[in-house]
Amino acid sequence: MINIVGLALGLTCFILITLYITGELSYDRHHPDAERIYRVINDADFGGVGETSTSSPFPLGTTMAQEYPNMIEAMTRIYNNWNTEYFVEYGEHHFKEKNFFFADSSIFKVFDIELVKGNPNTSLVEMNTVLITESAANRYFGDNDPVGKMIRLDERFHFKITGLLKDPPSNTHFHYDFLASMSTMRAMYGLRLNKNWIWNPYWTYIKLHENIDPEALKAQFPTFVDKYFARGENNSKTLYLQALTDIHLHSALDYEIETNGRMSYVIILAAIAIFMLIIASINFMNLATATSAGRAREIGVKKVFGAYRMQLIVQFIGESLIISFIALIIALVCVEIILPSFNNFAGKNISMSALLDARYLLGLIAVWLTTGILSGLYPAFYLSRFRPVKVLKGTLKNGAKSSNARKILVTVQFTISIALVIGTLMAFRQLNYLRNADLGFKKDNIIFIPVDHTPVSGNYDAFEGELLQNPKITHVTSLDYVLGVDHNSHEFKPEGFPDDEWQFYPTLIVREDFLKLFEIPVLEGRDFNRKNKTDSAKAILINEAMVKHMGWNSNREAIGKKFHSRVGQERVVGVFKNFNVKSLHSDLTPLVLNIKELEWERRYFTDYVVVCYTGEDPKVILSYIEDVWRKFSPTRPFDYKFLDTELEKLYRDEEKLGTLSAILAIVIIVVAAMGLFGLVSFMTEQRTKEIGIRKALGASIERIVGLISKEFVWLVIIANAVAWPLAWWMMSDWLQNFAYRTSINWLLFPLAGMITMMIAMSITGYRAWVASKTDPAKTLRYE
Amino acid sequence: MIHVKEISKVFRTDEVETTALDKISLEIKEGEFIAVMGPSGCGKSTLLNILGLLDNPSGGELHFVDKEVSRYSERQRAGLRKHNIGFIFQNFNLIDELTVFDNVALPLVYQGIGKAKRKKMVDEALRRVNMQHRSKHYPLQLSGGQQQRVAVARAVVSNPKLILADEPTGNLDSQHGEDVMNLLTELNQQGTTLVMVTHSESDASYAQRIVKLFDGAVVGENINQPKVA
Repeated sequence: MINIVGLALGLTCFILITLYITGELSYDRHHPDAERIYRVINDADFGGVGETSTSSPFPLGTTMAQEYPNMIEAMTRIYNNWNTEYFVEYGEHHFKEKNFFFADSSIFKVFDIELVKGNPNTSLVEMNTVLITESAANRYFGDNDPVGKMIRLDERFHFKITGLLKDPPSNTHFHYDFLASMSTMRAMYGLRLNKNWIWNPYWTYIKLHENIDPEALKAQFPTFVDKYFARGENNSKTLYLQALTDIHLHSALDYEIETNGRMSYVIILAAIAIFMLIIASINFMNLATATSAGRAREIGVKKVFGAYRMQLIVQFIGESLIISFIALIIALVCVEIILPSFNNFAGKNISMSALLDARYLLGLIAVWLTTGILSGLYPAFYLSRFRPVKVLKGTLKNGAKSSNARKILVTVQFTISIALVIGTLMAFRQLNYLRNADLGFKKDNIIFIPVDHTPVSGNYDAFEGELLQNPKITHVTSLDYVLGVDHNSHEFKPEGFPDDEWQFYPTLIVREDFLKLFEIPVLEGRDFNRKNKTDSAKAILINEAMVKHMGWNSNREAIGKKFHSRVGQERVVGVFKNFNVKSLHSDLTPLVLNIKELEWERRYFTDYVVVCYTGEDPKVILSYIEDVWRKFSPTRPFDYKFLDTELEKLYRDEEKLGTLSAILAIVIIVVAAMGLFGLVSFMTEQRTKEIGIRKALGASIERIVGLISKEFVWLVIIANAVAWPLAWWMMSDWLQNFAYRTSINWLLFPLAGMITMMIAMSITGYRAWVASKTDPAKTLRYE
Repeated sequence: MIHVKEISKVFRTDEVETTALDKISLEIKEGEFIAVMGPSGCGKSTLLNILGLLDNPSGGELHFVDKEVSRYSERQRAGLRKHNIGFIFQNFNLIDELTVFDNVALPLVYQGIGKAKRKKMVDEALRRVNMQHRSKHYPLQLSGGQQQRVAVARAVVSNPKLILADEPTGNLDSQHGEDVMNLLTELNQQGTTLVMVTHSESDASYAQRIVKLFDGAVVGENINQPKVA
């Protein structure tokens, strides 16, 4: 029984993990030409400050396709203004749409996107046309045909639906609900868009002609950059090609469409899956042989009555195949049961139907046969070798050789368990550290209201004034990103650089009161001043890191330095204390705070209105804000985010990893415990006679338990000795992912060691106790 | 020394109840050498296990050196056992992983006797069975007769009041068997009480008294004129 459970547990984990891995590896491979599709990415480096952007300027894609027609077969751009939520309406139905993209009509030439209705050559050509996926159409139109219907975007732009798209598969790096025609963009922004080589929110994909080496195209990039990018920028810009199939697991760059997976996690999981399977099979084998002593008599009798050795081998392998088949069925049922919560946890949409894939099915059958046969093989040959006379006389003596191999296996299992326990404890320690770290700004009692593409963004001052009427609202400001989550880079001409070269620096577009609201101290100079109407065009704030980056000797020296933006004639008026403008994965960067000058820019960069309040109950504040919202934006749904919650989300990956390693640690401990149980059973079985003799000679139960446990104490000590450096190495490597990290706490090592030691001791102790309880009179009987 | 009063032993499995001993009474005096005989399955070994405090009787009274021990727990029995009783088995029951010396020393270890004293006592016991030259060997390196002599040494090493021997010559050829019997007789003459279960008339002839068992009951007792070693 215990061996079926153990094997089923191992198989369950194996199947779940392999399903997950298969899913991860299949991303974007459904496009028949996936191997020929690349995303153009670029690296901008301004003296160590800059970005590696997955998106490009608007004209890059078309220009490149024109420049290298013999290499590039097709090109498409995808745009949603870096993950803007658009407000889409049809009659009574309206939703905020995150997956509303603009795309070139050539998207059908690059990707394999299935149109249920419409024409891939024409449907996405005209201005103000849009394609909609089946599930999105269902939200707005139910079962009615969406084609020909008009929808409204942000209460301003009207789009005609010209086609119906199949929903994109879940294993793609970008999920769309709407694809609107790129020609609409051109109309929205006018001709200047075609000349703008700086603003770069367009994800650009190219498909190479067959048999074209991507390296050949890459070789052209330096010339291309020189020719088209602005002076100053072209020195610091490098273009790359990123293979489509590499995006999901190998890309964690700036401005990704969606957060991608990580290859290192896939590798770790694959290793665990294989390990789990091997361990489960070996334990299965161990337990089978351990109980073999009990079957020796059966074999002896069978042999006496004429069974051939081959018949016995077939019998044992057959039994083992049946048992492992039962385990496999149990595992499949478990997978079916666990899958929904697993999907929920992993944020995936894996279904059992993936198991029906011929390759996977064959793999599973192979796993079953291998486990079954291997597990049966050893006992089969081992047991069938018994000399019947010896067995029946009870003088059978098992070899001690095999128990050494078993000991090594159990030690390895415990090594992994201990390392995983340490890893889990460390992961949670780091997570705790990240959550409680001082980011350098106030994060509680702060609400972010998304106002992008709403009337509020163009009517900020009145909105703010109305909010401040409430005495519980202490400060209001605006931002283009959620603070502590992300930022963009903007172009400046600081003192000491040529007048015709732009330098790009991490920047937040703010309004007055930003520093006051977030309680960020000004170290030198002054804050923006509301009364000072020229501040938007003439004043800029930088952090200490920027002072250092510019090579200025002191904060004081920075004050008054020229720091022109595209429109304003700015000078540095103040230096503020460094704070973490991104997650603690990344280090502090130089940072600029700027207030936009032009009215359209002010509107465009007002993505969030930030409200700081006092008092315990945010509900009252929220309902007040909502009332104000209704006045300014009666047709739009009111939405809000608490800053502290948003910041916690930054470490969701780590939290998942921590939970996952906790679960795996528990499973592996359980599996290892079963293995240990098997080993102890095997060894006590072998030593039954010895235990009997010792008891007859007066050994107490405690002495017997001690005698048997002693060996296992050593195994666990050895496992610890191996696991500690392993865990230390694993953890220091993992912590490298964070610019800010907690120290490795040495107390965790003995703690993990003690946990495993206690588990090991209770198992051996129990088994040894049972063995020592048996009456010596019984074990020594020989009649 | 041992007073057995109407002792029974019943083995139960799910369906079957077997009476191995049926109200046996027996008196064993200090310094006696008793042989218990009877056909297979008559309850000889069961009786021996009870006398050796390896097992409790199902009913009746068992007095071991003036103590009523029939309801003793395993722990109490183990305590009495290690100070008072030595065992010799048909299949020797030596521990293969331990040397001859360590095998013999085992009862002393459990009695908590110090190392130096232990060595002296083991050497003495091995000398008595003429095996001192083999003390560093392992049991599997010895012949059956030698192994049984080691087992005898282990039984006598702590100078127990009582030695129980279960078919001590059953696995030996006649020459080695005679050696062992002579050794046992010698021990008896030095004052050790001996109870031996045997099939062999010849072995039994060494004893002073022969108890005959049949179907779990004493069917006869005769005083024997023991062979002299």
